[in-house]
Amino acid sequence: MVFQEAFEWYIAVYLFLAGVGAGAIVAAVLADMYDREKYLSFIKAASVIGMPLVSIGIFFLYIDLGQGMWKPWLLLLLFVNPTSAISWGTGILTLFTIFSMLYAVYNLGLSRYFRFAGGWLPRLLDGMGGSGWMRWMLVITGICTAGYTAVLLGVLRAIPFWHQTALPILFIISATSTGISGAMIVRELAFRTEDSMHKIETTHFYLIVLEILLLAGMFFIAMQGVPEMQFSAKSLLNGRFAIEFWVVLVFLGLLVPAVVFALGESGRLHLKGGKLIFFEALVLLGGYFLRFLIVHAGVYTQKFTDYIQ
Amino acid sequence: MKKKYAMAYIVDRCVDCKACMVACKAEWEVPEDKFRTHIDTGVSPDYTDTMRMHFLPHQCNHCDDAPCVTVCPTKASYKREDGIVSVNQKICVGCKYCIVSCPYDARFFNHELGVAEKCTFCLPRIAEGLAPACVTTCPGNVRVFGDINDPNSEISALLRDAATNHYKVWKLRQDLGTRPNIYYIQK
Repeated sequence: MVFQEAFEWYIAVYLFLAGVGAGAIVAAVLADMYDREKYLSFIKAASVIGMPLVSIGIFFLYIDLGQGMWKPWLLLLLFVNPTSAISWGTGILTLFTIFSMLYAVYNLGLSRYFRFAGGWLPRLLDGMGGSGWMRWMLVITGICTAGYTAVLLGVLRAIPFWHQTALPILFIISATSTGISGAMIVRELAFRTEDSMHKIETTHFYLIVLEILLLAGMFFIAMQGVPEMQFSAKSLLNGRFAIEFWVVLVFLGLLVPAVVFALGESGRLHLKGGKLIFFEALVLLGGYFLRFLIVHAGVYTQKFTDYIQ
Repeated sequence: MKKKYAMAYIVDRCVDCKACMVACKAEWEVPEDKFRTHIDTGVSPDYTDTMRMHFLPHQCNHCDDAPCVTVCPTKASYKREDGIVSVNQKICVGCKYCIVSCPYDARFFNHELGVAEKCTFCLPRIAEGLAPACVTTCPGNVRVFGDINDPNSEISALLRDAATNHYKVWKLRQDLGTRPNIYYIQK
């Protein structure tokens, strides 16, 4: 069995940051649609990290490109092949970046810095950023961005562990969960209010539970899959990546936050300040390792299955 | 009729001398630790007294439905009229997507040039009417290269002969639907 070595940690960082940025914005827009006044601090915090994190993620992808630095004009060609998932992603991420930037300008009141062009530009920016269609476009492109990070891997027949429908669902759930964590950390640091975030915390808890169940299901199925898929799953369960998988992803990244948030749900624990930031940071750590481990556990199809008897 | 280049390996002749790998390396200035063609070794799955070690050459399969061509965002990887899958290094952005998309693990990333690389069936040599370097060099005559659309070519004759004599003929991972153009023949 041969592990793929072309996609390294740079790609994992890109998948992770694009997921956090998109997930934060999707969660914020949904909260915005539900009750803007109450969740304004969360919406502002998500706006601070949404577009910048996606952009930093894209920068990691850019520095991973063999010729990105030397021939930047080639980036225009990333749009040209309609059959390539990278071309789909380039389009989706471009749209999401523009929309989330306009949304952030509206939420953070940054339009006033554009008065140099007269009063019409701030009005236009706020009109676009605050419109109902913009919210829907953000939900659609945000979910597409989070899902795309998995579709990128999932369309490849060559690597069975990636080539499964569960992956986009897992990544969308994980992106929303890590996005909420990122926004909660920023909110705690910069936009803290006394408003209750209970519904968001409840949603967050169920997203993590769902992620645990989905991940468990994926492994039960992978262990009955083709040999390459079994090999990938075993490399995580008891092979070369087992320590990172069990300690960092499963225990620190999923189980500890799940238990802590469950205690929060039952009212036995009220997290705030440093403790809240710590446990939300654990969710982020788990989110990164989920992608890092799935990328690195990718194993090519065996070439010689029709072997000479 | 258009040309369609393909290659066949008569696998029982291979002795793992790696002359093909050396010839390929000499013909193409690839980075020190990289090769465009490999010899894979494998053991028959039946762990009995008749257990044998086999040597199987492999390289880019120049698939008719090549995943690398499908996933290349800049269309740098493309299928030529003559059946050869080629990489236009001028517009390859070096995203490595084609490398992870190849079920045959036939591509590698050239760090010196920042592009993806693979076997080209020695395009400059076949343009001059020569055989690829690995074919010319192989001391066991394992490799047969030619136009399978030409009934008089050596490879067409070999495949006809294999069919007549009921030799085992197969291609790698046909279940993946890539329609590869490298034939493995066991006499």
